[in-house]
Amino acid sequence: MILPQFEYKRARSVADAVALYKKEKGKAIYLAGGTDLIPLVKLRLREPKAVIDLKGIEDLKIIATRGGSLSVGANATLFDLKKDPVIAAHFPALVESLDATACETLQMRGTLGGNILQGARCLEYNQSLEWRKARGFCFKMGGKECNVVKGAKVCFANYCSDNAPSLISLGAQVRLMGPGGERTVKLESLFTGDARALFAMEGGEVLTHILVPLKKTKGAYEKLRVRESMDYPLVGAAVSVIDGKARICVGGVGAAPRLYVLGDIRDAASVRDVAEKASADAKPVANATLSPAYRKKMVGTLIKRALKRSLAEGKR
Amino acid sequence: MKTMKVSFNVNSEDVTLDVRPYETLLETLRERLFLTGAKEACGLGACGACTVIVNGIPLRSCLVLTPEVEGATIMTVEGLREDGNLHPLQETFMEKGAVQCGFCTSGMIMTAKALLDRNKRPTKKEIVTTISSNVCRCTGYKKIVEAVEEAAKRMA
Repeated sequence: MILPQFEYKRARSVADAVALYKKEKGKAIYLAGGTDLIPLVKLRLREPKAVIDLKGIEDLKIIATRGGSLSVGANATLFDLKKDPVIAAHFPALVESLDATACETLQMRGTLGGNILQGARCLEYNQSLEWRKARGFCFKMGGKECNVVKGAKVCFANYCSDNAPSLISLGAQVRLMGPGGERTVKLESLFTGDARALFAMEGGEVLTHILVPLKKTKGAYEKLRVRESMDYPLVGAAVSVIDGKARICVGGVGAAPRLYVLGDIRDAASVRDVAEKASADAKPVANATLSPAYRKKMVGTLIKRALKRSLAEGKR
Repeated sequence: MKTMKVSFNVNSEDVTLDVRPYETLLETLRERLFLTGAKEACGLGACGACTVIVNGIPLRSCLVLTPEVEGATIMTVEGLREDGNLHPLQETFMEKGAVQCGFCTSGMIMTAKALLDRNKRPTKKEIVTTISSNVCRCTGYKKIVEAVEEAAKRMA
């Protein structure tokens, strides 16, 4: 598949990247591992005038402990993070979600920043231009209505990061730097809830670091998938138990991960309640490889499984 | 559009090329250097047929822009032969019949080579996990896993 024409620029620092972005007047796009971006460009779903490569920025590769947090540079690869001793000792949910992401080869190229900022997916959207033209453009592509739910003026594409739910369960924050300066926000507040524009980010902002509170947690990540390798989550459920409280985050259905807090992980009635509520909140539609009814039911099931494994401290 | 000068080392040979900024490494390898061992199948990073080793890491070359590999050391399946002898992986793939149509084979071998480079004695489970990065649509994976196991034994 042939790429459309664009310029290639190499950024030496984050400030340099932002300056390059400004120079391209908003028609540039940042590139890290490229495992999500390059297919989107090949399918003509993104058509940048220039690509700004962030991989040469040393600061974005550093994993360090700073002021009670683990600071992970956005360019750290999923494979390296999976092998990191601090992450292994503190964040079991993250280790499992990193391991569940795509496959080993893609984990070695894909970055944590890129994994968080990946596009939303839909069977009607991630297709070639010819396919999409023949079908008629959907709501996400600027068409009048959704191609999956006829008449709907809403986009139902799914946000399919495995690692964002586990990071949210761990209470992670993200640091962004852009033309308007630097800011740090809770990861869950980065989402707009609209699958046409997933992230509440300004043009030209670079996700530079992911900050995870450095506390020992128990936890697990459960993923509904059909191939056990290389596939996106059809539902993902992350659980992290911090100070006796469980933070549960559900991904893979809809435009944003949903967070639930459970006061007492050992209380069977409240476990059942949170699982039922999460299943009820999930609104899957027929835009993934498994049926909406099954995915909806599996939301609660995966939460219960992940909670059970978090408590047992055991292996799968 | 203006081309870019890119230098890298491929199969122990330094090359400097003028490439399009939007050219993939797979296109450069196949169409400029005539190293056609890496195949294009899905072109979207889903299958692994285009896997080559870049700085010790297996990469899907259809997802990499050639300007990104400035200064890198690249090995393709053509670079595996040493002193006229095939690499143990190439031999065991033939002996075990781990090849049917052959389209996925170079990607499988390069993925396995990167595994054996970082882990001399992988367990069967580790081999299966690694090889699950690549898709084969004819043989199933049993013979491929056996071939990697046998090659690891020979190289030990």
